[in-house]
Amino acid sequence: MSRWLAEALAVAAKDLRAEFRTRVALNSLALFALTTLAAVSYTIGPYRLSTEDRPFLLSVLLWIVIFFAALAGLDRSFVKEEESHTAPLLRLAAAPTVVWAGKLLYNLILIWVLMAMLAPLFCVLMGFEIAMPWRFAAVLAAGGFGLAVTTTIIAAIIAQALTRGALFSVLSLPLLLPLLIFLIQGTTAVATGDLETYSNSLRAVLSMAGVMTVVSALLFPVVWND
Amino acid sequence: MPGIPSHRVPKGTPYDALRVLCALAVHPSALPRDNVQTVSNGISIEFSDVAKRYDLRVVFRAVSGEAQPGEVLVITGPNGSGKSTLLSILCGLLRPTRGEVRYRWNGGDDLPRDSWGRHLGVVAPSMAVYEEFTALENLRFYARVRGLALEESDHRRLLERVGLDPDRSTTVRGYSTGMAQRLKIAQALLHSPAVLFFDEPSSNLDPSGQDWLEGQVQTLVDEGRTVVLATNDRREMTWGSRNVSLAG
Repeated sequence: MSRWLAEALAVAAKDLRAEFRTRVALNSLALFALTTLAAVSYTIGPYRLSTEDRPFLLSVLLWIVIFFAALAGLDRSFVKEEESHTAPLLRLAAAPTVVWAGKLLYNLILIWVLMAMLAPLFCVLMGFEIAMPWRFAAVLAAGGFGLAVTTTIIAAIIAQALTRGALFSVLSLPLLLPLLIFLIQGTTAVATGDLETYSNSLRAVLSMAGVMTVVSALLFPVVWND
Repeated sequence: MPGIPSHRVPKGTPYDALRVLCALAVHPSALPRDNVQTVSNGISIEFSDVAKRYDLRVVFRAVSGEAQPGEVLVITGPNGSGKSTLLSILCGLLRPTRGEVRYRWNGGDDLPRDSWGRHLGVVAPSMAVYEEFTALENLRFYARVRGLALEESDHRRLLERVGLDPDRSTTVRGYSTGMAQRLKIAQALLHSPAVLFFDEPSSNLDPSGQDWLEGQVQTLVDEGRTVVLATNDRREMTWGSRNVSLAG
């Protein structure tokens, strides 16, 4: 287990190191998120929504921005390996589950960094008041994990296809839609202070992310090797 | 060859994992190490009736051959005859449409397919190292992901052995194709594999590099390693003790 963890960390550290140098994925994520946020805050702003609609509509907007930003950048980890022809040597050097765990960790760090920058900015620009800030952080963290684990396995599947960009969005949407519904519900609940809905939503998000983790871990060796 | 490969094993708590990840992102040789594991020599490859087809296009039919430890198997054939495809099948990266490939440990037990990668090194035009890293960083990564505990001096020695300057700070993106080829050879030798696959290894090497490579292959053979070579180069063809010819 320890050796497995060390090798997975090596894959994640390699991707992070490469990303710090090229900033391709981070730039895609951040630019998409900031552009969308700027457009949304300019057109809607903090005052155009009625008080009772605000928590729900702002939650929807927040997760739409995060979702599309994730689609813009999280497929890079596998696509880059295939495009730069480094995947074959990685296949020979590392066990499939090591690669999967490393890439998942890398995507998780990227999406959490994006959320850490985006969520406070969104709240300030849109005047989104959160009644339970720590629980809001928990929803974001769980949502980030759900997004990362789902997009990681989809990125692995589409990496060897020719029409990668379109496939990534097409395959991600149906898998992420139920997750997004519960994330929006949970975010609305933490904004209004509805503890029961928050708990139920968080449980649903964690359950979905857990199922995706198990399915991905089982599926990945087949996707990666064949 | 660099020192004896071994595992690097950090402790298992989440805090340790986070600490190791942070350390690795800052400095790549930060992992603790123990549990020395040697990679033994003496693996033979046997393949029989191997065929590969993509939809209706037949690449090759019923190819058989073998390579014993201390031998060089040369795969020849015209362009498009499937030399590289056969090499990918033999090293486990592709599955054949038909036929069987077996790795035997000292002529006895079969090695399970999922463990082949640990025992083989590959140099091929279709397989690249990471362009955004330096040569040393590449070797550090492959050593770590293979669970080897090599010292910095081992990496430097290996780079010097393939004719690269370990102190060169430019990334591989700035390398000539010949230098990148030398780095790929270093990557293939990193874990002292029992089996080595070379796909047109002299391509992009200068004449002195070709002489050096010939000497290296001879050394590997003398050490009892199994070498499989796909080539159309007349000089490389003479290195072989066995031959498989693909018709095209």
